[in-house]
Amino acid sequence: MALRDLKTPPASVTEASAALDALDDALVGGFGRLSAANLEALHGLHRSFAATPLAGELAAAIAGISRSEFLDRHFLVLAAARSAVLGAMHDALLAQACAALGRPAPEIEAIAAGAGQAAPPQVEVWLESARHWLMELALAGFANLELEILLPFQATLDAMSSEPALVRQHALLGGFLEEMLAVFPRRGEIAAPRRRWADLWARALVLAAGAPEPLRSRPTSGSLTIYGADLRQHDHLATLVVYGALAEEGAGTRLVRASVSASKVDVIQGAELGGLFAEVAPNLVAALASGQRLTLTKAPLLGCGDLIWEDSRTNLGAKAGALVEAAKLLAAAPALRPCLAPADRHPALIDELVFVPDSECAGGPPLPIERIPTTEDLLATDLAGNKGFVALLRFDGGAWGLQPLAIDKGKPLPRMVGAGLAAGAKGHKSSSLATLKERAGKLLRKKS
Amino acid sequence: MAKENRSVIQPRSLARARKVDKVPFVELYAGRLQGVVSSGSDEDRVYVSYFEAGTGNFYCSTNNNRPCGGLRGSPCKHLASLLDEALLQYGAERLVHGLGLSAEPDKVKRGGDLLRFIKGGPHKIEAGVVFSRFLTYLHHVSVKPTTAPIPEMGWFVR
Repeated sequence: MALRDLKTPPASVTEASAALDALDDALVGGFGRLSAANLEALHGLHRSFAATPLAGELAAAIAGISRSEFLDRHFLVLAAARSAVLGAMHDALLAQACAALGRPAPEIEAIAAGAGQAAPPQVEVWLESARHWLMELALAGFANLELEILLPFQATLDAMSSEPALVRQHALLGGFLEEMLAVFPRRGEIAAPRRRWADLWARALVLAAGAPEPLRSRPTSGSLTIYGADLRQHDHLATLVVYGALAEEGAGTRLVRASVSASKVDVIQGAELGGLFAEVAPNLVAALASGQRLTLTKAPLLGCGDLIWEDSRTNLGAKAGALVEAAKLLAAAPALRPCLAPADRHPALIDELVFVPDSECAGGPPLPIERIPTTEDLLATDLAGNKGFVALLRFDGGAWGLQPLAIDKGKPLPRMVGAGLAAGAKGHKSSSLATLKERAGKLLRKKS
Repeated sequence: MAKENRSVIQPRSLARARKVDKVPFVELYAGRLQGVVSSGSDEDRVYVSYFEAGTGNFYCSTNNNRPCGGLRGSPCKHLASLLDEALLQYGAERLVHGLGLSAEPDKVKRGGDLLRFIKGGPHKIEAGVVFSRFLTYLHHVSVKPTTAPIPEMGWFVR
């Protein structure tokens, strides 16, 4: 293993990143008032797509926009082109990482379509609203946003929140809108985080292109050992992502990912999130705290290595020496491990699971530490005197980094993100969550 | 590399947990600090209160649009509690910026310290505008969690 070799990204990635600036600058300034330099840069983007399937569409979109023909279709093409560049960057970066780590490229398992339900008809209407709103943002430009542009979309967003087919769209659009609203009252031009907002805008537009297909899964049984967890959140959603190894019955050991996402409000934080996650995944929350294995029986597994958690298909088992096993398995990670579907690929979403032995930490961690969520369960200071740690290999801002998920401190249980959630899952009558739920029970029932 | 070239940025200041029994709802939203304050005397009654950034205008009424009796040209006790709780939830820096006040965040110890920076007067708005935000807020804690993967949450770190 040679994480230290990942000091610089491949040259092609740095060049591609510079090419994105053309589009991102136009998004900041606004497509409603493109400068000659913006237009020239957009034509440059088009030239780099020559001889690709997107070339014709991109030429039409840029020509249309420069004639002030503002159709959401044109912007969707730009977003798709941007995503394609980032997807290629993702692939080059992952190849570099796999070479450095001496592991095969991750493999997506082909799974046949099941009898999933098609999305209900109102989904198309909401997605059309989303596309239109995202076009309005692009026309105005991130630096010139006004509340009059942002607020009208709130009602659509609230309506989308109850539709299970649109969880991804709702999660992203909600977090993006919340961030943009937070700059008000604005003073002068908005100092937009250019790359970030362009990412969120483009991904939101691509996800709004059409109703999502039902997820394809196959049943799996076996023993799951948790290696680490990550907590992601904005004000209205918290996502717990658990990484681990699944010893599948009748097959080998593979790596998997499982996630629980709970709608929430800003005052619900820390251990209290456990109460929300435990509504659907009590065994998962319990295992994070106790270090127990989980036995899965016919649990649904997706092609990219995601388990769809159904708690009734799981049982808590014996305690595991998780990090000792992680050290061994991750030294030669199997090809069947979590990855991104081709349309979802983006450098910032790379989450390659690694084990960093203490021998690699002499003189500090082999790569910069980043993205540790705010939690008492695991702090950056826990890395001092560690006996090895499980981390996600991350890429952002032009450089590789490590996000620790679980740290071996030589005690029976490692320091692990999410270990404290079980304490909050018990629920206290005086907790904010209990108080708000009680109010919701009264008021929302009265309303309907 | 500069922040403008990063995809994932941890926000500098976060909303903090606070007790929500007396003031169940506080938000800085769209240039306003607004919220819902429980009545001290009647368990079933709530007051809807707001301050507007910039103008410094404010108002307080029941959710049935009956004006608050304590509102006599200056903020009532419900508006003062709204400021207190907002300070707990958002911290002085975000609150002062969110309301566009000239106060120095370091010197704000309690919400009441901000009252003298509020330059506006009572200005009626429909309580429903704020109250419907409260219902949406409550809706958020009532939606069943999902176990479907959401790769996009990788952009949101706190």
